[in-house]
Order: sequence, then C-alpha cells, then structure tokens
Amino acid sequence: MRELELYFGPQHMGMVGNMSITLKAEGDRILEAQTNPGWLHRGFEKLMEYRTWIQNFPMVCRINVIEPDSMEMVYAMGVEKLAEIEVPERANYIRTIVLELSRLSSHLFGCWAYANMLGFDTVAQWAMYHRDLVLDLLEELTGARVYHIYIWPGGVRRDLPKGFKNKVLETLHTIGSSVPDYDATFFNNRLFYERAKGIGKITREEAKELGATGQILRATGMKFDIRKVEPYAVYDKVDFEIPTRQDGDAYSRVWLIRDEMIQSVHIVMQCLEKMPQGEVYNRIPNPFKWKIAKGEAYVRVESSRGELGLYMVSNGEDKPYRVHFRTPSYPHGLIILEKLLENASIADVGNTMISLYVIAPEIDR
Amino acid sequence: MNKLLKGELESAFKDVLVNILEDTRLAAIAPKDAVLSILSFLKNKGYDHLALISCVDWIEEGELELVYVVSSYLQKNNECTGNEKLHIILKTRIPREKPESKTVISVFENAEPYERELHELFGINFEGNEKLTPLFLERDYKIPPFRKDFDTREYVKETFDKIPFVEEEKE
Amino acid sequence: MKWLKQPHKMSQKYSLWVVYFCTGCGIIEIPPVITSRWDAERFGVIPVATPRQANLFLITGYVSVKTLGAIIRTYEQMSAPKYTVGFGSCPINGGMYWDSYNTIKHLDKYIPVDGWIAGCMPRPEAIFVAVTHLWTMIDKGMATGYIKYREKYKSYRRNQEKALGKLEWPPLYSMEGKDE
Repeated sequence: MRELELYFGPQHMGMVGNMSITLKAEGDRILEAQTNPGWLHRGFEKLMEYRTWIQNFPMVCRINVIEPDSMEMVYAMGVEKLAEIEVPERANYIRTIVLELSRLSSHLFGCWAYANMLGFDTVAQWAMYHRDLVLDLLEELTGARVYHIYIWPGGVRRDLPKGFKNKVLETLHTIGSSVPDYDATFFNNRLFYERAKGIGKITREEAKELGATGQILRATGMKFDIRKVEPYAVYDKVDFEIPTRQDGDAYSRVWLIRDEMIQSVHIVMQCLEKMPQGEVYNRIPNPFKWKIAKGEAYVRVESSRGELGLYMVSNGEDKPYRVHFRTPSYPHGLIILEKLLENASIADVGNTMISLYVIAPEIDR
Repeated sequence: MNKLLKGELESAFKDVLVNILEDTRLAAIAPKDAVLSILSFLKNKGYDHLALISCVDWIEEGELELVYVVSSYLQKNNECTGNEKLHIILKTRIPREKPESKTVISVFENAEPYERELHELFGINFEGNEKLTPLFLERDYKIPPFRKDFDTREYVKETFDKIPFVEEEKE
Repeated sequence: MKWLKQPHKMSQKYSLWVVYFCTGCGIIEIPPVITSRWDAERFGVIPVATPRQANLFLITGYVSVKTLGAIIRTYEQMSAPKYTVGFGSCPINGGMYWDSYNTIKHLDKYIPVDGWIAGCMPRPEAIFVAVTHLWTMIDKGMATGYIKYREKYKSYRRNQEKALGKLEWPPLYSMEGKDE
C-alpha cells in the first residue's frame, strides 16, 4: 500500500480553535502525526512587557478564549504574591463563584464540541443554550458576556447586584434538572459507548511521563486536582469531591466532564450560603505609578483543562520583566496527541483530538 | 520539609546555591553542566512533574537564564501528603552570544516542545534534541523575537505599515 | 412588486450561506449564533462545509500571518457574488494586538471587505444587524467588493506578496493590464 500525506486543518471539528495536523497514512491506518500550531500566535508574552501591570489585565483574559476567568485569576494571584497584597474574605468567595460558573460554561462548550463532532446535534444545541444562561448571569455581574475583566489584584471590581443569588439558584436549578435528559440522550447512549470506548487510551505511567494534568490524568485514576493539592480562594472551606475513572480512554474523559459539572454546581451553592459580608477589594497603590519590587513567583490554578501556571519575574519597574504561562493544552496538544494518533484509523482522529480537550489558543498564546 | 530538601541538595552537589523563597518554593541556582544531574536526582526523589521550561533575557548582564520548574504528582495511595505543594525552581545562566545547552529529554520526556519553543523564540540550541523545527513562526527574523533587543513596534512600522491601501492607487 | 423586478437580489439576500471558518477569537461567539438561542437560520444564514458553496465570509477576530494565506485561498475559491464582513476590532486596524509582530493590521489591504462590525467581542445581535445592513447594501448595489477585487487584482496581489513572501498559488485573474 502507498503512503499518503493528509492535511487536517486548520478548521475542523476535532479542535476548538485553529490547529492543523499533517498525517502520514497508509490506507486507513495512520503511521505518523505531526502537529502544526502557530495559526493563533500573537506573541502575548512579548506584548505584556510593553504594558504596565494594570494595563495587562484586559490582555490576559484573551489568551484562553473559552475560559477567560482562570487566566485573570492566575495573573491576579501572581501580582498579589509579588506585591504582597491581601484579598478580603468576601472577595475570595465571589472569586470562587465566578471561577466555578466559568468552569461550568467551559464544560458545556466542550459538550457542544464533542456532541457536534460525533453527530449528536440535539445535545449540542441544549448544551449551547444552557451555556448561554450561565453567560447571562456573568453578564449581569460583570458587564460583558465573554471577556469579564472582573478579578483583579486586591479582590474583585464590584459587589454582587441585588437579587443575584436568586437568579443564580434559578439557573443552576434549570441546568441541574435537565441532567437526566442529557444522560438519557447522550451519556448513557449505546452509540456513544460504541464510538468512544477504547479510543485514545493512555495509561497512568505514560500520562505522568508526558506531563498530562487535568481530565487526562484523572481518567487514569489519579486524584490530582490543584484545588485540593494547593488550595487557593476558598476551596479549602467547601466540600466537594474529585471524580476519577480507571480506564483512561475517551469514554472516561467525557464522563468526567459531566461529573465535574455537577461538582461545580454544588460548590457554587455552598459558596452562596456561606458568604460573609464585608469589603470586596483592598486598595492598591496608584495604578499609573505602581512599581513592584524585584522578585519572581510561580503560581497555579486548576482550569477546566488542567494545571494552569504562571512564572512571573519583576525587575522593580512598572512593567513586568518576563511573563510565561504554563498552559495545560501545551503538552496535551503537542506530544500526547501525536502519540495517541499512531496506529489509529482516520475516522477516529477527530474523536481522539476532541476528547483530549485541547484549546488551540492556549498552545500558541 | 523544604529545609530538608535544601540540605540534601547542597550536600549532594557542590556548586548549587539554594534560597527558600517562601514556604513552598525553593530557588536553586546551578551551573549549566550540573542541570542534568540535579534533575535526575530530583526525579529519583519523587519530583516527577516538569511543569515548565522558561527563559529570561538579562540583557544588561549579557546572559540568558534558563528556568526549570519541577514539582511532584501524588505519590502513593492517591492521597495528598502536603509534599505536592513544594516546587523547585532551578535556574542556570548561559552567555547571550553563544546560547547552548544540553537537552533534558532523557530525564523528562515532555521537555521536547518547551525546548523547541525556546529555540525558536530565543535562539537557544539544545544539543541532543532532534526536533528543533519551527513551531509557531513562519518567517525568519534577524533577531529571535522574544529577546529584549527585538523592538516589536519598530518591526510593525517597517513591515506592515508600509504596505499601501488599495484605494490610494491612482488609475 | 419590487422583488419581481430583481429576483436575483432577493435570492442572494435571503440565503447568505457563511463559510464555517472561525479564525482567532471568534470561536467563542459563532457557535452561539448558529445554535438555537440566537438562531441565525431565520435570517437565512447557515454555515456550510466548503467555500465553494458559500457566499458570505465572516472573518472573526485577529488574523495572523499563517491564517492570511488560508483566508486568501478560501476567498478565491468562493464563487461570485461574494461578500466579506470583518467581525471585531482586530481586522479593522489591528485592535488590541496593534504592536504584535505576527498579526496583520488592516485586513482590507489584502482582500476587499464590505462591512465591519466593531466590538471586542461583539454581541450576537450585532451580527444580525450587520446582515440586515448587508441586505440594504445589496439592494442598492453597494456591496461590490468582489468586483473591486477583480479590477484591482494586481494591487491586491502585490500587497499579499509583501506580507507573505512568494505565494504558492497562481494568480486568480490575469496579471496583465495597466502598469503603474
């Protein structure tokens, strides 16, 4: 049989964002896959060196377009660590609520993408609709649907509006009561089982060697979640579990998305109950003349895809000296994808790619 | 716990200088040739998660600083022991005119894309890494774009702003 | 009745099929537009798989140098009459990444653009307002981007070569004609 070189991308159902893959195929079997990122490269880290600390906040949330709040959170944590700023208690609760709502909307987007890829259009439309209800809540709180710029050093920008708690509970009730519909149509569906079981299988040792975090690692049985390992905001004060599965294939990874959505709903409800009164931000020095002392910091949060880290160096000036984001999609989309596509059939390429839950803007930055 | 690790590192390697940045972060400064053996030492002790390989351009001192951030996954029985919070930030300096270093793929297999990116954006050559092909960029730049002497605003003025609009043509 | 005199305009307007190519940041606002809440199909806009079947091209978000090649090839494969709309502030003048070394700043130096939607990201309702504006423009005969591309193809191709270097695909229209 002859070898054929196929170009897959940059726009295809297997990836959220633009990334292309070159496949060397022989008949229906793939011999070698080579990823080709760079369609979305803007040179963020270089641009951030030209802007002051506070001017970087609108920049930072545009690195990961699907879930911008975790980027804002990790940058705010880094700046607070370098400048030694404390955050009031109520602000931590509000930050947790916003992060969990953002995780919910990101997982619903992932459900749309995966269901659309497999052909389950009904579930895809439901998932997008429920995600829009969550975005309505965030729009009322922060003023914008997509890029919020709400979490900043010292707390959050403004307090919750009147009647917000009831609206959140109503939306969560709507989403929570449609989980049986999702289960019956998609998650317990025999067709989904046949198409996803055994696809893209990875063992725990391989996942650790290749630097995986997030759902890929939790689907192999390790309970590694930064919210329990190194808690930030108020994750050490609320009760939640880390769901895991044992098989390490696409079926387990997508089931974990469903379980994590249910945990997010529990966390938001607990935070709304336990939230104390008080201030929502501590004052920072004049942002136009703010210089931060020399130092370096590495902070990390758990985004919806894995460990999101930030290495920041300050040189005593009013602009950052070096900023480097460690995004979870970087090892997943570049080396794990290439390894899992060897010996796969061409029909399973999209399935494998989207079950690894990669976002292309995070790779390129 | 971090004092214990500091003691072990300093006794096993002569040229390493370890600072405790805070409770869960250690910064270790080592010469270029000791990096591979320090990373294997840490991996054998259970710190098996290479989170990041980064680079900082100290242009005034004429050096590039390679940074390796290492921490650990959960060890036994899937329980958090508190040891997983500890990060070791290993730094080493290489000269700016001749930036070369050895690859660490033999210890951590996921170092390959990080080294590829640093090769493209900073111009550092990693010996032993066979896949140093272009990752993001399509064109050749005279100075690698992330170095401090590459002025991106000048580049934009020279390249993109000089292209004329189509309406300005006179028929 | 008006549409009986010009049925070709009515049939173009009310079925603007859009190429499903989400460049840049637009990956986040295009799926809500085409699904059930902000249903775009009631305006006649549905996403199609290939550029040969489409006559509207929405460029959603910033354009990097690699993507510009893909955009030009997609645009040249669409059949006339075709319309382009730039979505977001980045195609207009570079937007937030005005000083980046890897994004192009003004999209209408490289392909003709009929209208712009400002915002970072614009709301889904803005797309519908843009579609109704495009209908008015088609009625009045003002959406002539594709005619301009054919007439001034030499200048466009020269700009594209300045940005991307030597192009691998042959020129779409003949390059003879008036010389500067």
